[in-house]
Amino acid sequence: MLEINNVHKSFGKNQILKGVDLNVEKGDIIVILGPSGSGKTTLLRCINFLERAEEGTINFDEIHTSFKGASKQDISRIRKRTGFVFQNYNLFANKTALQNVTEGLIVGRKIPKDEAIRRGKQALDKVGLSDRYDYYPSQLSGGQQQRVGIARAIAAEPDVILFDEPTSALDPELVGEVLGVMKSLAKEGATMIVVTHEMGFAQDVANEVVFMDGGVIVEKGTPSELFSRPKDERTIQFLKRIIREDFDYSI
Amino acid sequence: MNLNLSFMAETFVHALTGIPTTLKITLVTMLISAPLGFFMALGRMKGNKGGGRLAALYVSFIRGTPVVLQILFMYSLLPSLLNYLFKSILHLNINIFRMDPIVYAYIVFSLNTTAILSEVFRSALMSVGHGQMEAALASGLSSSQAYRRIIIPQGLVVALPNICNTTINLLKSTSLAFMMTVKDIMAIAKMDAAYGYNYIEAYLVVLVIYIILCTLVQILFKVMEGSLSGYRRRITA
Amino acid sequence: MRPFHPQLILTALSKTLPYLWVTIAVMIATVVIGSLIGLLLTRANIRRRLIGRSIAQIYIYVTRCIPSIVLLFIVYYGLPELLLAFGININNASRAVFVITTFSILFSANMAEVFRSAYEAIDPGQREAALCAGLSEWQTFHRILLPQCTVIALPNFTNALVNLMKEGSLAYTIGLLDIMGKGQVMIGQNNGSFALETYLALAIVYWCMTLLIEKVFATLEKHLTRGQKILSDAP
Repeated sequence: MLEINNVHKSFGKNQILKGVDLNVEKGDIIVILGPSGSGKTTLLRCINFLERAEEGTINFDEIHTSFKGASKQDISRIRKRTGFVFQNYNLFANKTALQNVTEGLIVGRKIPKDEAIRRGKQALDKVGLSDRYDYYPSQLSGGQQQRVGIARAIAAEPDVILFDEPTSALDPELVGEVLGVMKSLAKEGATMIVVTHEMGFAQDVANEVVFMDGGVIVEKGTPSELFSRPKDERTIQFLKRIIREDFDYSI
Repeated sequence: MNLNLSFMAETFVHALTGIPTTLKITLVTMLISAPLGFFMALGRMKGNKGGGRLAALYVSFIRGTPVVLQILFMYSLLPSLLNYLFKSILHLNINIFRMDPIVYAYIVFSLNTTAILSEVFRSALMSVGHGQMEAALASGLSSSQAYRRIIIPQGLVVALPNICNTTINLLKSTSLAFMMTVKDIMAIAKMDAAYGYNYIEAYLVVLVIYIILCTLVQILFKVMEGSLSGYRRRITA
Repeated sequence: MRPFHPQLILTALSKTLPYLWVTIAVMIATVVIGSLIGLLLTRANIRRRLIGRSIAQIYIYVTRCIPSIVLLFIVYYGLPELLLAFGININNASRAVFVITTFSILFSANMAEVFRSAYEAIDPGQREAALCAGLSEWQTFHRILLPQCTVIALPNFTNALVNLMKEGSLAYTIGLLDIMGKGQVMIGQNNGSFALETYLALAIVYWCMTLLIEKVFATLEKHLTRGQKILSDAP
């Protein structure tokens, strides 16, 4: 369904992505792991053109284009078929929870207002915020804000939802509610690409785990393959560190 | 030191008749400058480099020179320039020297305030985080829809206190309009004072009137801010 | 159209520039006096004693509403009479006295706001941490709080200074012979001709001064903030 090949992206002299391939089928839950600076977030942002990659191609169903030569229409079509959940939520500060969800439907996708509001409420209900329709972001907790962010991403029923470290800005006690919503989405068959450090989530939900380091994909496989029998030395080191941290954290 | 109180009372009532002129200059200038300044700010943020440089130069010049100098300069330039323009180029039969001098005040203060407001709008728009734009694009809005519906509404609220400041500064600057023979509060008080050398009293009256006007402007903006910034309020449990 | 002679701008520059020092001297005196009054106002404001605070706030509010030229005239006509009531005669004092008085009043209110917002911008944790580290109140103030305040206040101070210079150009209206006053005298001597060239010359001087002030203080700020920059995360 979604296939990207040979993505290169630099910021100035700093080469962040050095040729990344990724293939996503409908219903896939792909978790991307890796140390900070490995290019995970940049990869995600390149997929919906928040960053423009210098090299590489993207095939999204019937849309076939290079990153560099993508037209405005291509970008707009790809963005309308993807949902994006930001690390720091980025809720529209001047809109209520419901308006945050319906804004893209009414204005971006020209869905009639009644229908958009119905779908917006449905999305908010799904993330457990049926009592917060008319709250402004400043009146919500971090976990609630991120759940609105997820509702905003799923309301348009996108083909794939991109999660950029959705829980890393949250207080530890609020992480659970957001992961819970993501798990239930996964159960319903949503296609998701998730950048995260939550190993538990990767273990339970992902059908493929991708490990990135230094701008390339070092290794990928099912969670059980990657976690119990990692092959590359860098993966082994990373997992050791992360799992020890997780362990320390739990005591 | 004795103040002539009955003179002050008379001058106060008389100077009040200058309020409409003062307010008219302020209001007309804001109505001209706000849209111009706004589009200049947008243009500088998204537009081409050459135009941006030119705008930056204009803003720098206006902000770098005293208002009084701008007034004196324009007042010695405009009449003959406009006269030349109307007579020799447009062939209009307008006697420029019979025109209400308030027009000069509109021009000078608009040139000044446009530059100031463009900076106000620019910093306000830039203060709306980049994340808001990204979230709007990711939600399927086009970049102009994102500006119209997300960035600009938030920017305006941020800009409001500075627009208020700009208005107050403008209101205060209009007290220099008498240099262009405009009959505002200041000009009236000045003339009254000249009769009997009651300068202190006359200017004290002007001071009181300006305090009242500035207070009204601030109340007006507080009300506007209250109605526009509902989304920023936090619920405190 | 009146003929325009660009070379007269140079003439005007050479004739008015010698009076720039008057403008600058008046500015410096105003900054010193105005800042001192501003500090007193800030102190009254921060200490939260009702009377002192109310007086400071009313002073700041009223000052903010007065057009400079109105206060300049009030001081020019009013100050001699006020002082005469105390038996002091300043009718023959230099015009600069009135100008400095006026603009010190206006500048002090600006400074009070600059100081207050800088003071409030500092995390109270800084003070607590310094006290816990064993510094005295005074050491805490001048080693920890003051340097941070200065950096925060600098951009606003620059703005206030530029505003002071620009508003100060009104001093010619009561007859001070600074650069602006000299320009007006020249125009008067020429019976109003070459006004455009003279005003342009003055505008250039003021513009350059503004840019210079901004440049100097931007450099100063950079110098003061070294070591305070936050390390930004790699993308």
